[in-house]
Amino acid sequence: MQKSFQPGKYQTSIDVRDFIQTNYTPYEGGAEFLAPPTARTKALMEKVNALLKAESDKGGVLDVDTEHVSSLLTYPAGYIDRENEIIVGLQTDAPLKRGVNPFGGIRMARQACEAYGYKLSDLVETEFSFKTTHNDAVFHVYTDEMKAVRHAGLLTGLPDAYGRGRIIGDYRRVALYGVDKLIEEKQKDKKKYGERLMTEENIRTMEELYKQIDFLKKLKEMALLYGIDISAPAKDAKEAIQWTYFAYLAAIKEQNGAAMSLGRVSTFFDIYIERDIAEGKLTETAAQELIDDFVMKLRITRQLRTPEYNDLFGGDPTWTTESVGGMGEDGRTLVTKTSFRILHTLYNLGAAPEPNLTVLWSEKLPESFKNFCAKVSIDTDSIQYENDDLMRPVYGDDYGIACCVSAMKIGKQMQFFGARCNLAKLLLLALNGGKDEKSGTQLAPEGKAFHGVLDYEEVRKAYHKYMEWLCRLYVNTLNVIHYMHDKYAYEKIQMALHDTEVERFLACGVAGLSVAVDSLSAIKYAKVTPVYGENGIICDFTIEGDFPKYGNDDDRADGIAADLVREFSEELKKTPAYRNAKHTLSVLTITSNVVYGKKTGATPDGRKAGEPFAPGANPMHNRDVSGALASLNSVAKIPYECCRDGISNTFSIVPSALGENNEQRAENLTDMLDGYFEQGAHHLNVNVFDREKLVAAMEHPELYPNITIRVSGYAVNFHKLSKAHQLEVLKRTYHSRV
Amino acid sequence: MQDHTEKSADKAVGYIDSVYCGSGVDGAGLRCVVFFSGCNLRCPFCHNPETLVKRGEQTDADALAARLLRYKPYFRRGGVTVSGGEPFLQKEFALALSARLKERGINVCFETNGHITDAELIESGDLIVDVKNQETNDLSVYEQFFEECVRQKKDIKITNVLVPGKNDDREKLCALASLVHRYFPKKSVYFLPFRKLCAQKYEELGIPFPYSDIREAEEDDVAAAKKYF
Repeated sequence: MQKSFQPGKYQTSIDVRDFIQTNYTPYEGGAEFLAPPTARTKALMEKVNALLKAESDKGGVLDVDTEHVSSLLTYPAGYIDRENEIIVGLQTDAPLKRGVNPFGGIRMARQACEAYGYKLSDLVETEFSFKTTHNDAVFHVYTDEMKAVRHAGLLTGLPDAYGRGRIIGDYRRVALYGVDKLIEEKQKDKKKYGERLMTEENIRTMEELYKQIDFLKKLKEMALLYGIDISAPAKDAKEAIQWTYFAYLAAIKEQNGAAMSLGRVSTFFDIYIERDIAEGKLTETAAQELIDDFVMKLRITRQLRTPEYNDLFGGDPTWTTESVGGMGEDGRTLVTKTSFRILHTLYNLGAAPEPNLTVLWSEKLPESFKNFCAKVSIDTDSIQYENDDLMRPVYGDDYGIACCVSAMKIGKQMQFFGARCNLAKLLLLALNGGKDEKSGTQLAPEGKAFHGVLDYEEVRKAYHKYMEWLCRLYVNTLNVIHYMHDKYAYEKIQMALHDTEVERFLACGVAGLSVAVDSLSAIKYAKVTPVYGENGIICDFTIEGDFPKYGNDDDRADGIAADLVREFSEELKKTPAYRNAKHTLSVLTITSNVVYGKKTGATPDGRKAGEPFAPGANPMHNRDVSGALASLNSVAKIPYECCRDGISNTFSIVPSALGENNEQRAENLTDMLDGYFEQGAHHLNVNVFDREKLVAAMEHPELYPNITIRVSGYAVNFHKLSKAHQLEVLKRTYHSRV
Repeated sequence: MQDHTEKSADKAVGYIDSVYCGSGVDGAGLRCVVFFSGCNLRCPFCHNPETLVKRGEQTDADALAARLLRYKPYFRRGGVTVSGGEPFLQKEFALALSARLKERGINVCFETNGHITDAELIESGDLIVDVKNQETNDLSVYEQFFEECVRQKKDIKITNVLVPGKNDDREKLCALASLVHRYFPKKSVYFLPFRKLCAQKYEELGIPFPYSDIREAEEDDVAAAKKYF
């Protein structure tokens, strides 16, 4: 271990948090120290921008390597510009060239190649004809009922054909300890487990440990392809960043999970950077250059996806989520100069959706940092905020966000990603006595069909009955998926960078919350009568009278939202989860709110069949008419204790409503975040722009090539969204005051 | 001026058109804006024609204050702006609301047309006074109002809707500057460029928008007007 670091427990056991706590320097000052990009950074970024343009001109995919199966040692070393890169390593042998990863499912890999005019090589096809993929195995076990609800869109986005993702390896461990030490620790664990009774569970752990150790060895070899030996701890800032990046790179070569998040590296890096600066080995400019170079790499990570996948998760996201800031349990802020430096890349390299920069907001964050974040939001629309004061008591002070809103202790907790169920469609199912309103198929056990004016209590009772049915089926389905994922597509390098005893979450989710809430509110406070089609299925509703709508700080509607998530969360817990995982729940849609809407008939709130839902926990488009703060207050009422996997709110406000000048806007945005989070709210995606700007960008894409917007727990380049997604974004509420 | 506020028991009851929660441009910081119903003027450029007559939601000061208190966490720099309509038309209601909010530590600001000089009301909150000189050269009504402000040593914000061809000429601007500087030697006027976003509201209400044919004011117009201060 390095001599100049403060000693601590981290020297005797794997404990990155302890290293951070004993060595980091909180920073309470302003942004004035930050350095502009160097000529080298600018030149390299120009090359990257040219590649990104070529990728976009080619329809979204620059190139695909169809000959190999992506893994740590598949490809030779790749570079953007070998002489001028500081941090090295690419997923394949060339930038933006996508690898093929058929472990989740060969069909998806094949279709993805074909969608972009490529053909998966015979070699890979043949090799996988002898293999069971995760996708094969899941379908070997799926029951008819599971297949039916999946097909109908009651459960959607299940990770049964690609990597599940949402697991954060503690990539920092590689820098702090070097790979050899990590192998040694895992070997010790394997020895200990070898002494236990060989139950099915223990045998599985033993095999997983074997795989972890094997891949740690491969990680070392992978780094050696670039001429770098990472068996020992990193000695300086450049090495710390490089070692950490290699570990992350190994993960995204091995896995194609939807969300492959980075964790919480900035303050960890800061320790090395500040030491190098103190010793005169690094200048501020050189420090910023390291971070800029690292972030450039994160911006060009790619996975090969099918068009159907892009419908759910629009804009080609990777969720390279980096959690920035927050407070420590001892009351010191975890904001360091490198927290500023990583946000500053949005200026040095331009606004961009990835990495998914996530500020862990606390009332106690240094004022200068709050103000800087607000300024960055207003200038770039590229960051999201999550409530550290809410999460710290649950996850401690070394957690990270996976994907959009999923918190987990880094290296100690992981989750089984469970996508989501469609709450609005479930309501229609209940009203139709268990029949799918689109196809007329009897999906669920037959129940009472509703006629005449709907009675709230009766509807609520029926809804609950079908909720019970679906929650059991949902958890069972996820159990199948994750059993098979562990068996056929286990995350070897990511789990090698976890403690062996890891805590697991079964991360379930709901979509269409605001539609379900407004529908129930309409039934309760207005007069709603179903209209039946020829097939005897409800095709529409007549609504007489007005009703309170979620998003206006009206407890009558907002209370229904809180009740629904509480009820759903409790129902989920009744079915035990695979590997004793703890059930959690998110209110998050990614961009699947559009697909969910498409698959859902007309709803009692007046929403037409096929119309998109609002994203995440957002109030339905343009129904939150009482102002931005009223809308925020409504979302803040959704209880986090029932939604431990996160409550996503995507918020757009026009600059002229936020303040008269940039300084005021930053102050007001800071106050808005403080006020929202003080009430126990969880997450806020912030966009500050005029709707007109997006309309113009749709009409003249060439004039606005780099518009980044926050959509739902992540950011995208507006032009990477499909037309349907772009139109949905335009429909959202833009809080203004006229 | 007649006081329209109704009193029932101890409750100050009044009429509001709406509450808008979340504005960064109606006073300091983030604010909730309460639009009182009813106005003593009929300005042809009025941006809130729906608030001109006293109808809308009847509420009492306690209930309204409770509703506004929900937003206290956002009010580090901000607070509640009472606009309208003309808030000073409902005196008891305005005073009661202001008192309830202030006792809970919430800043209150009144947006008034300055035609009702009432010492108690002037004392009860921050003030934004909009000078209406678009259709008249007689600004004497403001002398009384400003005098009272000066007497109370109140730091007020003075606004003026700049309407091209109506009050952006030299004569009008000099008169405005002279009025303001007589009472507040160092104060500037904050010009609000005339906008026609409200045209739709007139249409919905089925009443004519008298200034519909006048062009909107641009940044250049505002910059030119500022030179007089």
